[in-house]
Formats: sequence, structure tokens, C-alpha cells
Amino acid sequence: MVETFFNSILYVFLFLTLYLEVFFLITFFEERLKLGIISVRAKLSRYPSVTIIVPCWNEEKTVSKTVDSLLALHYPKDKLEIFIIDDGSTDRTWEVVQKFAKNTQVKLFRKENGGKHTAVNFGIENSTGELVGCLDADSFVDKDALHEIASAFNEDRQMMAATPMLVVHEPKTILQKMQKTEYHTGAFLKRMLSPLDAITVTPGPFSIFRREVFKKIGLYKKAHNTEDMEFALRMQANHMRIRNVHTAQVHTTTPGTLYTLYRQRLRWAYGIMKNTLDYRFMIFRSEYGILGTIALPLSFFGVFIFLYNFGFIVFHIARVIISKTVEISTVGLSFALPRADSFFFNTDFMSILSYVFLGLGLVIIWNGVKLAEGRFRPSSGIFYFIFLYGIVAPIWFTRAVVNVAISRGTSWR
Amino acid sequence: MRAKIETKKYVFAFIIAAIVFFGALGVSNRFSEKRIAEIKTVEDKISLDILSSETQFALLKESSCRAIDHGTAFSEELGSLAAKLSYMEDNLGNNNPNVISLKKYYSLLQIKDYLLVAQIKEKCGTKPITVIYFYSNNGDCDDCKKEGYVLTKLREEYPELRIYSFDYNLDLSAVKTMKSIQGVQNKLPALVIWDEPYYGFKSAEDVEKIIPQLKRLRAVREKAEAAKSATSTKK
Repeated sequence: MVETFFNSILYVFLFLTLYLEVFFLITFFEERLKLGIISVRAKLSRYPSVTIIVPCWNEEKTVSKTVDSLLALHYPKDKLEIFIIDDGSTDRTWEVVQKFAKNTQVKLFRKENGGKHTAVNFGIENSTGELVGCLDADSFVDKDALHEIASAFNEDRQMMAATPMLVVHEPKTILQKMQKTEYHTGAFLKRMLSPLDAITVTPGPFSIFRREVFKKIGLYKKAHNTEDMEFALRMQANHMRIRNVHTAQVHTTTPGTLYTLYRQRLRWAYGIMKNTLDYRFMIFRSEYGILGTIALPLSFFGVFIFLYNFGFIVFHIARVIISKTVEISTVGLSFALPRADSFFFNTDFMSILSYVFLGLGLVIIWNGVKLAEGRFRPSSGIFYFIFLYGIVAPIWFTRAVVNVAISRGTSWR
Repeated sequence: MRAKIETKKYVFAFIIAAIVFFGALGVSNRFSEKRIAEIKTVEDKISLDILSSETQFALLKESSCRAIDHGTAFSEELGSLAAKLSYMEDNLGNNNPNVISLKKYYSLLQIKDYLLVAQIKEKCGTKPITVIYFYSNNGDCDDCKKEGYVLTKLREEYPELRIYSFDYNLDLSAVKTMKSIQGVQNKLPALVIWDEPYYGFKSAEDVEKIIPQLKRLRAVREKAEAAKSATSTKK
């Protein structure tokens, strides 16, 4: 009876998940012709002036490379200014960035530490560009990224913000390789959310805005240490168009250890849930389109659905382990080969659904890799993502749910 | 201006999701039906085999006991059928009408085999080793699962051992009669060996102690295997 009740909830969740995957795949088929476009760096009809803000707090190791990648952008030098804003670093960041002091494109600022959003706001207030963006000091842009984004702004006058495609920079550890595939999958889903006007985050690495956005809706807020999510939701609440430009690639450094990954993801998961709660007036409201009916409910309830499904899997694995332990303790270890009879191949409803989900997941991963790298290439990251993500993600999701319940905030590092 | 999503896209996605979801349910049911049909086929084959043995036995009477073909292969078939039935019970639940029907049929076949073996024993003087096992999977028998592991292991180790397992709660008059003939009480798991009921969990060692012939069978087999390996080494 109890099992039937929990199974019924699970079936509802699985159906919802399946519905969303199908919805995204239909969008993919609608968009697939646009996805195949290979970027050709043709001269733009117009080069809007751009200000890129690089907020830094103790980034002495990576900031030079970040600024170098900005200086190497294929974009007219007189149209691009770069603001390096030292947000009260306690390491050698300020000394390191002095090497750019004489560069006419670069302006250096130093302020008291006040958090990332204060550094970016400081930059926005001092900027002059028609387009204003930010690049975290641990990320590096592709040479054509700004050209691609400016081209998209030229083509679509309604577009108020552009987000790039984020890819993992030089993954070394197993967790970084896992994140590489996760980012590919995320890139695919973001690209699908773009034409649906349902993007919920304008990430710190190289999201670019029209200047008027800040005039209309104001500057960044602290927003549970996830100001890029809050800002995107504020834009959406004001019906401002955010588009994903998948041909603009940005390489970002990702956490290499479980602890640093946990800290980052806890901040994200907590931020997603808290910001969604702050903007809950958009949930299930048809005037906010797919954002209101699908993307926002998914941002909030997705965590619970993920944890419920995970709990179900853990429960069944635990049952199998207990049963196997009882068998071994009763009759000892048997080294006989497993029964090869096809009769025992698991084909119950849940297993068949799992095969379906695995297949759909692989289609999404395949297309994510293709979107990022031009063609599908198998990698160990795919294996780690499939088998590892489901084990590590519940750690921060569970903690985030607890933190939201007791309203305990998260810190940056 | 926000992108307008046509209602038909929502509906289309819903229809596809529903087709996949219920399609998975349909495929799963189809596989279950196939499995049940497979078990039924094996049961029919065993039924035919028993009928054949009974007929053969009736024709020859005691004049030629050696001609009775009722060896170990048949017992193995019953064993593998038990594993398949138990798998279906785990998957479809022990209240599933198909599972109950298959279990009843299986129980009847076991009783028929048990009777035939008893007849052969009486007429031909053979000494088959039989174990009758009563279990319950209504959640009231903690040790039944463990006893099941022990008996499966013994069945694999000693193909000569004929194990007949019955669900104590099965609503079948033949099983009820079997319970009363053997005088088995509701203290499960229960084993009946040499017409003597034993209650509670019995390990493989306990069963081997009750049936000393098993140890002898193992010794004979080990001796034969040693001789075989010695011959092959000589070659």
C-alpha cells in the first residue's frame, strides 16, 4: 500500500520529466537548421561600442590570462574598453594587473571589498559602451565571441541580453571531466530555452547587455550570492529578451575537488531556489510564457523531483544490497557466473522507462557535444557524467533544500 | 515581446510523452505475458513428462524398474522453474492472479512428481532423497528467504536431491492435504525430511546432518572427479 503510494508519486514525476525532455527535443527539431550554422567572421554592418568589466577578488593567478583573451578579441580596438576592478583583493592581484596600466583599452580601478555585485555595479556606473558585459576573472573568451554577440545584437533589436556558450577550460580531474559533459548538456538546454524566452540566468562569464537594461531595471543586487540569476529573472519579469548565442564560446575554470564543487553548487542550488521564490509571482502565469509554465517551476521543483527519484533508486539499491548480504552470510560467496537466461533480463515498467531516459539523455549529450565541438566525440567525461553526477549532485541539492528550509545563506567560497 | 508558444506544441509534446510512457508500460506487460507463457510451456512439458513416466510405470509394472526414465534432468527442470516463478513473483507481486495460477499448477506438478517418486521407491526399492519445504511470503516469515538460499544452494550442489517447495498460504486443496498428511504446523520455515517435520531456519550443514547420504554423495562425486582429472593428465 505504502509502496504503491510512493510509486504513484514517482510515476507522476517521471511523466513530467519525460514531458519536458520531449518538449525540449521538439524545440530542438524546430531549431536544428539554425544550430548547424557555422560562424563566418564577415564584417559587421555596425560595431557597437562595448565595455567589458572584469571584477577580481584574489585572482592573481588567472586575471592576466583573462584580460589577454579580451585584448585578443577580433573586435575594433576603439570600440572595446576593458575595466579591471579590484574588489579589495588581499593577494597580488593589483600588482599583477599593473602590466595593463599603459594599454589604452584597459582601465584599472580599485575599491574596498563589497562583493562581486558591487564591483560590477561600479564598472557599469563608470562605463560608456552601448553594450556592457562582465567576464569573471577565471574565464577566457574565444577570439570571435564578441563579434558573434555583436552580430546577434545587430540582427535582433528586441534582444536586450546575450549569453554565451560556456565550456569547461582544460578539464584535468575526474570531476572537471564530468562537468565538461554537464556544461555541454547545459549548453544544449540553454540553447533550447533561448527561443522559448525562458532563460533564467545570465552567467557571470561574458553575458552582454544593452546599456538601457540597467537604466530601466537598475543594477545588480546581492541576491543570495547569485546575482546573475536574480538579474535574469528581473529582466524576464520586465519582459526583456535574453538570447543564447551558442557560437560565442567562453572557457571557464571549474572546481577540481569535491569540496570546491560542493561549495559552488550549493551556492547555485540555494540561489536558484531562493531567487525563484523571490520571483514566484511569475510561476504558472501565462503572460510569462514557457518561463512561467515550465522553466521556473522546474528551477524550484526540479531539485525535489531529482532528490525523490534519487531516494527511490537508493532505496532499491539498498534493498538489493541487503538481500545479497543476507544471501552471502547464509550460504557464502558463490563464484558462479550470473544466469545468462534472457528470462531474467529486467523488463519491468521502471526498467524500460530507465532505458528510455538513458536514451533521451544520450541524445541530449550527443547534441550538446556537437553544439560545442562541431561534431560528436566520445569522451571519458560522458561516462563520468552518467555514472557520477547522480551520486554527487544529491549532496549539494539535499543541503540546499535544508538551507532554504531554515533560511541559511551560502557564502562565495 | 515574449515568444508565443502555440498550444498545439504543448499538446503534441503531451501526446508523444504519453505514447512513450504508456508504450513502455505496454512493452513491459508484453514481456511479462511472454514470461508467463514461457513458464506455462515448461509446466506443460513437465506435466507431459510426469504423465509419460506414470504411463510407462503402469505399463511395465515392477518387471523392469531400470527402464523408468526419471533421472536428475527432470529435477533440474523443476528447479529452474522454481527460480523463474520466484522471479515473476518478485516482479508482479505475489497477489498477481497469473502468478497464483502458475504457482498452483507448479505445486500440483510437484505433488504428482512426489507421488510418482514414492511409487517408484516402493516398487523398485530406490532411495530418493526428498525434502518438502513450506514457506510463506506474506511478510510473516523472516527466515524463509534465508532458507530459500540454503535450499537453492543444496539443489545446485546435489542434483540428486529432490526439493519440493510449497507456499503455506496457497489456497489449493492438494497443498492443504499435503500439509495435513505431513502434519506441518504454521511455524515457518518448515522442512519435511524422511516424513519428519523440522521447524525454523536450517543451514546447509544442519540439512547435511539430517541427511548423511548427502556427504556420501559428495565424497563419491569428488572421487569420480579426481579419477577423471588423473586420466586426463595421463593423456
